[in-house]
Formats: sequence, C-alpha cells, structure tokens
Amino acid sequence: MIFSPQAKKRWDKFKALRRGYYSFIAIIILITLSLFAELIASNRPLIIQYNDNIYFPSYGDIIPGTAFGYKYEWETDYRHLKKQFEQNKLDGWLLMPVIAFNPLESHFIEGEYPPYAPSIDSGHFLGTDMAGRDILSRIIYGFRIAILFSLLLLVVTYIIGVFLGALMGYMGGKFDMAFQRLIEVLSNIPILYVIMIVASIVTPDFWTLVLLLAAFSWMGLTWYMRTETYRENSREYVMAARAIGASHFRIMFKHILPNSVSILVTFFPFSVVSGITALTSLDYLGFGLPAPTPSWGELLQQGTANLEYQWIAISAVAALSLVLTLVTFIGEAIREAFDPKKYSYYE
Amino acid sequence: MKFFKIISICSVIFASMVNAAKPALPADLIWETNNSAKPWSSTEAKAGGTFTDFILTFPPTLRTVGPDSNSSFRSYINANQLGLTHFHPNTMEVIPQIATHWAYGKDGKTVFYKIDKQARWSDGVLVTAGDFIFTLDLMRSKHINAPWYNNHYSNELTNVTAYNDHTISITGRVAKPKDELHYFYGLTPTPKHFYKNITKDWVKNYNWEVVPNTGPYQISEIKKGKRITFRKKENWWAADRPLNKYRFNADKVVLNVIRDVNMAYKYFEKGELDTFSLILPEFWHNKAKGFLYDNGYLEKFVFYNDTPRSSSGLFLNTATPILKDRNVRIALAHSLNFDRVIKTILRGDYERLDAFHTGYGEFSNANIKARDFDLPKSNALLDGAGWNDRGGDGIRIKDGQRLSVNLVYGRKEHSDRWSILKQDALKAGIELNLKLQDSSSHYKTIMQKQHQIAALGWSTGFRPAYWQHFHSENANKPQTNNITNINNKDIDDNITAYRSETDNNKRIVLANKLAQQIHDEAAFIPSFMVPYTRGAHWRWIKFPDVPANKTSNSLYSPFGDGGVFWIDPVIEIDTKAARKNNSKYPVIERTFKNYLVKTP
Repeated sequence: MIFSPQAKKRWDKFKALRRGYYSFIAIIILITLSLFAELIASNRPLIIQYNDNIYFPSYGDIIPGTAFGYKYEWETDYRHLKKQFEQNKLDGWLLMPVIAFNPLESHFIEGEYPPYAPSIDSGHFLGTDMAGRDILSRIIYGFRIAILFSLLLLVVTYIIGVFLGALMGYMGGKFDMAFQRLIEVLSNIPILYVIMIVASIVTPDFWTLVLLLAAFSWMGLTWYMRTETYRENSREYVMAARAIGASHFRIMFKHILPNSVSILVTFFPFSVVSGITALTSLDYLGFGLPAPTPSWGELLQQGTANLEYQWIAISAVAALSLVLTLVTFIGEAIREAFDPKKYSYYE
Repeated sequence: MKFFKIISICSVIFASMVNAAKPALPADLIWETNNSAKPWSSTEAKAGGTFTDFILTFPPTLRTVGPDSNSSFRSYINANQLGLTHFHPNTMEVIPQIATHWAYGKDGKTVFYKIDKQARWSDGVLVTAGDFIFTLDLMRSKHINAPWYNNHYSNELTNVTAYNDHTISITGRVAKPKDELHYFYGLTPTPKHFYKNITKDWVKNYNWEVVPNTGPYQISEIKKGKRITFRKKENWWAADRPLNKYRFNADKVVLNVIRDVNMAYKYFEKGELDTFSLILPEFWHNKAKGFLYDNGYLEKFVFYNDTPRSSSGLFLNTATPILKDRNVRIALAHSLNFDRVIKTILRGDYERLDAFHTGYGEFSNANIKARDFDLPKSNALLDGAGWNDRGGDGIRIKDGQRLSVNLVYGRKEHSDRWSILKQDALKAGIELNLKLQDSSSHYKTIMQKQHQIAALGWSTGFRPAYWQHFHSENANKPQTNNITNINNKDIDDNITAYRSETDNNKRIVLANKLAQQIHDEAAFIPSFMVPYTRGAHWRWIKFPDVPANKTSNSLYSPFGDGGVFWIDPVIEIDTKAARKNNSKYPVIERTFKNYLVKTP
C-alpha cells in the first residue's frame, strides 16, 4: 500500500503518539485472536489422535460419539473422552484449548450450584455465570460479536452517511433542504426505544439489529460530510475538474471525498465505541441478540442483578472498560494526528 | 276530600302493581348457613401498627374493569370487596360473607341469597339487593369497554332477581354442582348510590375514584407513582363475625412502589418493609443470608400449600407441520431435561409438574407422570417417525427439512432454563430456537396461534377447565385459549359431558379420563411447580401456630383470606435496639408441613 505524503505524515504522527499506537496494536491483536476464538475457547479439542486417525474438530461438522466407540449419535462428549484416554481405557490422546468450555454450554459441578467462582482447578478462570457457563469464554465470543457488529454497523452507516452527506453538500438547493429536514426528524427519534419496540414484536437476530441500528444512526455523519463537501466544492481543484468535464460522480467521490477523509477517520473509533455500547445496552435490557448468544450486556445484567457474585460484574465491566478505553485512546491519537492545524495543505 | 280518596286509591293500585312486579320467593326453599366453620386466626393477635409492603408498579387505574384494569394491584382492591359467600381456605366449605343464608333452586342453576342486614358500604350506606342488580347492569354496559365482562355477565349469568331489599336469586346459563354455583354465579355488589348511572365517560371518570367497598380496609391515601395506603375501618360491619375476629390486625397497610425487586430487598433489609416473599431460588439461597438472619432479626418460613398449580410448561402448536406428528411431540418431551434445570439453577427447590391440572384434589389424575428425560426413547421415536438422518450439526433432517422449532417465551429471567433444555435437546437432534418476547407481544403471538412452541403458565381456577384449552371449537382460530390447537373428537365428547354434568363424582371420573387423554396427546409438556410459599419477615411480625392456609399463595397477604399476622410493637423496638448494638436472638428458620401433599 502506497501512502500519499500527507497520509504518511499523519501515520508517522499517529505512530509517534505512543498511547494511541499501542492501543491500536492491542486492539488489532484482540480482534485477530477473537476471530480464532474456536481455537482458544471451546469444548471441542484442537486435535485428537485415535486409532491411527487424526481429527481436528474445532471447525465444521460435529463428530458423533460413534466415531470414538460411543453408542450415541450426537456430538462426542470430549471431556469424557479425555478421561478415557487418560485412564488408558482408550488408546489415543487429545489436546484441549486453553479454555475448555464452549460459551453456550452449561457446565455443572456435582454438589455445587452455579455460579461457580473463578478457579484454576475447575478451568473456569473467570468463574461461571448464573447458568454455569464459562465467563471468559463468553467474554471472548461476546467480544467477537460486539466488535464485528460495530464494524459492520460502521460500514453500513458510513456508506449511507457519506453518500447522502456528499450528495447534499454537492447538490445543495432543494435536495439538501429536504434531506436536512428528514435528518432532523430522524435524529429526534430515540433509537434505543425504537429498537425495543421492534424487538418486542420480533426477536431480532444479528443482521436485523445491524440494519435497524444503521437505519437510525447514519444521520450524524451526514452533517460533517455535507459541510465538508460544501467547502471543498468551492475550491479551485473542483472547478478545474469540472472544467475538463469530469462527471458529478467522479468529482464527488474521486476528488472531494479523498479530501474529506480526515473527518471520517477521526470519527471512526468513536463510531466503534457507540456501536459496542448500543449492542451492550440492548443486550443489558434484554432486547438484543436472542439467548443464549454470548454477550457482554447480558453478562453485565446478570452481574448487576447478582452483585453478591462479584466476579460476574467485575469481568464484564473490566472487559468493557478495557476495550472502550483502548478504542478511545486510538480515537484521541487519530484526532491529534489528523489535526489540520499541524498538517494541512491548501493549494 | 274526594281528591285525597282518588290519590289513596291510586297509591293502593300502584303499590299492588309494584308488589305484583316483585316476584314471589319459592316456598319450598331450604335455607342453609354455616356457623360452624373453624377460624384460622390466633386469639393472641394484637391489633394496631402499620404494615409496609411493596408493589413493583403503580397501578394504571383504580378501576377493576375496563382498559388497563388487569394489573396485579386489582387483587388488593378485590380482596376488600366481599362477595356473597366464600370458601373456607382450609376445608373449602361454603362460608357466609355478605349473604348469611343461601338456598338452591330446583333447576340446578339458581342460588338464593339472604343479604346480611348489617352489611354496609364504607360510606355507611346499607348494601341492598339493588347493588347486586347494578353489578349486572354495569358489567353488561358497553361503556365499561370490557367485552369479556360484557359477554360473561350477559351469557353466563342470565338473571338476578330481587325479592325484597335483602333477598336475591342469581341464575346462570347452565346447571352446575352446588359449590360451583357459588363460585361461578356468586356476585360481588357494586355501590349503585356511588355510580348512579353509567355514561360513556365511565372509564375516564372512574380511573382514580376510590369506590366504596365492603371489606375490612379502604384506600385512604394515594400518592401517584409512589405509594397507596389502606386504612382499617373503625367500625367494620363484619368485624365481629367469628371468622373475622383476630384478623386484619394492622391499622394501616402501606404499599410502596419500588420498581426493582433487588432494590426492594435492600429496603427490606433496612427494615423499611416488614416482609419479603422469597419464592425465587436465587433470592432464598443467595440473598436471604447474612448477619440479619444469623442474629435472628429476620425469620425465614417455608409453608407447603395444597392448592391448584399453575398449568406451566411448553405448549406445542399441533398445527405446525413438524409438531403435527404425535411421535415427534412425545420425542420432544423425552428430550427435555427438566430435572437438570431443577437440580442445578433452580437448586432443587422447584418440582416437576406432572399434568395440566395438578393440585385440584380428586379432579387431578394422580397417575399421570410427566414424560421424563430419556434420550434413547426420544431417538427411537424420531427414527421411527422418519427423522433418521442427521445433518453436519447433529440436527435431524427429513425431506430436506431440519428438525428445528422456535420456542417463544416472555420472561427474561427464564432464559437460562430454556438454554439448558436446548443443550440436551440437541443430543436428540432437535434444535430449539429461543425467542424472548416482551410479555404483551408474547401473549399476542400465542393468541394469534403463531407460535410453534410457547412457554406459558395459565392461572388456576376453581375446577379444571377443559373446554377453553382443549375443545376443537377453540382450535385453529385466533383469540382462544386452545393454544395447542388440539382437535380430537373423543376429547370433545368428554369435555361436553364434563361441562353438563352436575354430579361431582361423575365429573371426577370424567376429569381423570380427560387428564389421561390430554397426556396422551402430548401437546403440553409440563414444566415446573412450586409446592410451597416462603419468605422472610422481621421478628416483630407474629403469626398463629399455623401461619397460613391450605390454599395460601403467600404468607404475608394482609387482606382476603390472610390478615392473620400481627405486629408486636414491643418486639419492634427491642429488635431495632438490638440491631444497633448487635445483640443476638435465636436463629429462626421454620418449615410448615401441615398441608404438604404426599407424592404417591
């Protein structure tokens, strides 16, 4: 990827802001790791060697119990299989992930009632929730869902927001006026309430939630895009482009947009934050993704309703604060790196 | 003089006309009463003090019919509005309330009542026959905006006749056994002098009116959104009745609005609430412990009751293609591990419900047991039903269709229960998609019969009710209670026979037969029941030796069949002082098994 000199300068400046840069690296690592969550937290082993066959059950179809000599056709109970191997009742070995629990499975300890406190022995490093599900595992999968959700939401809102904002600024006149009013009306609708109402009628899934939230949160960006386009529109390079006969589309997206990109990039991290918080608050209130989807909001809700089991609330709050702080640090650094007072090039 | 004569002749004629309009009481009535019923209060009870409890939401209206009136607060108002007769909460015998005597008509559908001449409204006006006729007028009025009541009081109750100011008869649509005549046809009076006439603004005008009542307490103060206070009547007309003596001891009952249960529990720990019901396992086991209990300031009671249990469980919509097959329904029942839920997250506190109608005494079929978790059986049934193939995810497939069904439920707190069931159903190759809905849209989905599986609990009744839930007349049409859409000729026949039978012994036989047929249909998978009520209270709240009744759903109800506890002011002061200097009382945790139902 070749950076323009200006972008390169900004990138260097961003890298120089240590706090933001390290946060950026940290969050990239976290996202990458979460994409391979099945290899970190799962009740399926990473690798099994049995009867000269080697299995990699982490991804794909279930391996029925019959494959390992059990009499049932449903998914193998790997925990039991592991014991069989260890006691040499069966010949083979298997390697479990670091966290040997699926975020959806309730794991009960004989003679004790959930939630179980954090413990190295039981393998629940952050304990379990009220239904006996591993908290760390749910946090990892919950993070993946939340971050993907907010990134996707961001892409959709940016596409709509940038396109309409640019169009408003570029075309001006009645079109601009009409959309301004529409946006004013839309922005006054309380999003969370709308989603709660919809969620009370149909149980939303991942995609409907993204679309619903996007439908009511693209407006914020249009204002900035609109003003930016207005400003750029009157510059000489735009006139020059127009003079040589460039199409409107080309002027808007080839000339004006790259010059307004700094605004978009500065908002980027804060949009991610708002996406995560929106999903978390919806889940907290019970209007988000259907149970038993792993979710931070749901964990937070359990934690606050059962404050006597501090580890639930602490885990959820810590995870949420960590990620939101990291993203905010990145946001600050980007804002500073893109500060036009230091690096702006007017012709 | 002549003028006066005409007047007097006219008045005589007029009077005789009125008398002619008043029907005569049948001569051969045998009046019954009950003076021998055993009181359930304690002679040690002391009157006085303020009892403070909480409600989760402020009621949207104080009306008991019409829009928004079906809130939980209605029970507090209704409990202070006496009926003609009542059932003894332990023996279920008929006991007098506003009526002192009753008699049965020959047609089997009429009951005659003599109204107590002492009975008064809270504003001092006497209760008369006209107030009962007015109930009918009100309930039949279009202006109350309550179609169910309109229909019920027009079609189920056909007639109320006043013989004089203190004698009435009520006639219903069909003949019923004697006890049911009281239950279904016994009216509650409505103060005619208060409402006067019913106009089209009735709903609006009476939203916040405190209606005169006949019970021991009346609302004395309303702080909108915050608090409702009931005050005991000073000279309640029925206070000296043997069954009412030593009851309704608190002078004031204050209901504070606390919108969160966890918050309410904190208030209770502070001593701002006197009692707290602790049915939920997480409350009983996790929250109700600590120094307040160890020092004996708070006492814990468990009381086993014997009362109809809510018909809670999963209702399978037999109109759903997958669930049309009875074998699939049975297989599904065998694939759900309710015991695991009970033993883990419910901490063994709940029990498995066995049948749709449980706790109705002889009317319940004790031989019916819920289908237990049995994967081999479930798998064999599904294999037999043609669902032999399993997809890569372990879910069974038949003709390209996955064995995947939606389960709608309306309470967020229950998510964990269904999540655990989901995990074991997976082993049978069944996928349950959990869909949480807001409670009102949950109800709407079910009433539209748009669910595949619905988790729901029906409230209980006096006797098992089959027609609304299982008759084919209510199947496959919206807004009826047959939400499984069961449509079975044999069941229909038995329901018809059950409904028209007036001999209780024959009805019991039919009820037992029906219970078996419903079990065989396997469209209802019973879930849980709670065989007790339990809670904690500050030690200044005192109880009779048996703190509640056979049919009590709460230890702490201040009205209705309750009101047996009393507040000991000396102990209250003592306890508050003890709390300050951390001194101890013996720990009290008692279990009352007086009415424990022995499982056969």
